[in-house]
Amino acid sequence: MERNFSKEFEYISEAYEKSGGEVSNLLAKDIVSIIVSGDQVIGRNTVEGVNIEAETKENFVKLNLNVEDNTRLKKPVHLCVGYLKDFGEQNLEYDIRIGKNAQVNFVSHCSFPSSQEITHNSLANIQLDEGADVTYRDSHFHNDNGFVNLDTKYYIKAGKNASFDNRFELTKSRVGKMNVLMDISLDDDAKAYLETKVKEKMDDRVDINETIHLNGKRSSGIAKTYVVGQDESRAEVINEVYGKGDNAKGHIECDEIIAGEKVELTTIPKLKVINNTAEITHEASVGKINAEQLETLMSKGLTEEQASNMIINGILS
Amino acid sequence: MLTIKNLGYSTDGKDIIKGINYTFEDGKTYAILGNNGTGKSTLVKAIMGMHGYINKHKGKIYMDNDEITDAPLVERAKKGLSITLQEPVRFKGISVKNYLSLGGKHDFSKEKMEEALEMVGLRKEYLNRKVDKTLSGGERKRVELASIILLKPKVVIFDEPDSGIDMMSNTMLKDVFEELRANNTTVISITHREEISRIADRALLLCGGEIKEEGTPEKINKLYKETCDVCDHINEPEEDERV
Repeated sequence: MERNFSKEFEYISEAYEKSGGEVSNLLAKDIVSIIVSGDQVIGRNTVEGVNIEAETKENFVKLNLNVEDNTRLKKPVHLCVGYLKDFGEQNLEYDIRIGKNAQVNFVSHCSFPSSQEITHNSLANIQLDEGADVTYRDSHFHNDNGFVNLDTKYYIKAGKNASFDNRFELTKSRVGKMNVLMDISLDDDAKAYLETKVKEKMDDRVDINETIHLNGKRSSGIAKTYVVGQDESRAEVINEVYGKGDNAKGHIECDEIIAGEKVELTTIPKLKVINNTAEITHEASVGKINAEQLETLMSKGLTEEQASNMIINGILS
Repeated sequence: MLTIKNLGYSTDGKDIIKGINYTFEDGKTYAILGNNGTGKSTLVKAIMGMHGYINKHKGKIYMDNDEITDAPLVERAKKGLSITLQEPVRFKGISVKNYLSLGGKHDFSKEKMEEALEMVGLRKEYLNRKVDKTLSGGERKRVELASIILLKPKVVIFDEPDSGIDMMSNTMLKDVFEELRANNTTVISITHREEISRIADRALLLCGGEIKEEGTPEKINKLYKETCDVCDHINEPEEDERV
């Protein structure tokens, strides 16, 4: 724990738990953890093979995280980011390098529990060296009574035979305004799986753009997006895949459920094959909850609302 | 006990089912036999009050003498009327365990759920599988049967219970029907297969939207073979032509 931040840590821990995090993980000595509150790094722990450097200035935190070659972390790296004020701005920049044949699981929780109107901008540049294996779980918890303006960008480069599995989730609170951009480039035999799950309500606005560049031979990528829109929310999902490498394979899937009279959802798939040995497919659906699904559950005694919730929870689970 | 009185349904000026009267008694197993297009699916959907059928049919429906003619699907279910569709739908992200307990609405023990799965020929490991496209048609159908075993409705309608399930599984279906019968559940199987009607107590022959004959499965099967196999009487619209 950094100096004089114990009270701040208490608040941020509470928010962290609301977003689904386990606070004991942030304190364990054998776990890599970074705790950011506002524009301060209030806690940091690392283990052999992982170097962390932080730079802070007003409304801004930059983290450099370097995982050395062949480092295989048995326990996840915990990133806890919070902003406890009602109003303000938080800018984060991550430079992450995962060394050759290193293996890391990231668990990231972002909480803005008392936000009335805050802006959170995040930019992550992630480099996976040859054979690196990374999973990244990113859960957000905002404030149902306030507004978060979230702009988050990930640029990932996966080297030969590297693997990147990313899951982004914002389903436990309202969204506010969210713009997520994820752009991944894959070298020979590299693999990527990108999954985004969002439940929006009220007048939330969501823009998601997931792009996979299948540059390398036999590279493969899957992008799946699930959005449930309630009330007057709007969302636009753009999934793009570019097949350049020999025998590259890509698949994009987008399911958007309209659960409100004034909801407006859009999905735009873009598939471009530059190499004729590449193969790209897509599936997309936008609409109300399937009537047969509802009737199946209602014929077992669930009300329409219970049945809808069960179906939505399944999609977002 | 399920009673239908003068049940009829028309679309585009065509009578799909015509004034059907019948009482299905408690704890008995029935087979409604008929070729494709004879009105079997329409009859089922009208009885269940499914979308596009409720309030659009003639006649009256009673559960245990309580009229449910205008009751929505969920009310009919709460009175103990249930159904398994010919091709049960899939659900993304919902585990078999969660599906059987209806999202936790029912507090079935793990052992109970495993027993129900075992009865329909699925290993207990299936509890953690998803009710999505990773299940084959036959597996999905078996999960549906397990769900009915656990829910123990008063009346259950099986629309083509053996579709997607291999022939060897008739014994399994028989066991499921026996289990339901032991619970005093009324089982109504909609089928065009004689093998299924043979495991019923009573059978009904549906033709041209009417019950042409009622009797023992042997009698109805014989009649079905003699008349329906050579009959091209179809008056039920294809699925996409319906309301």
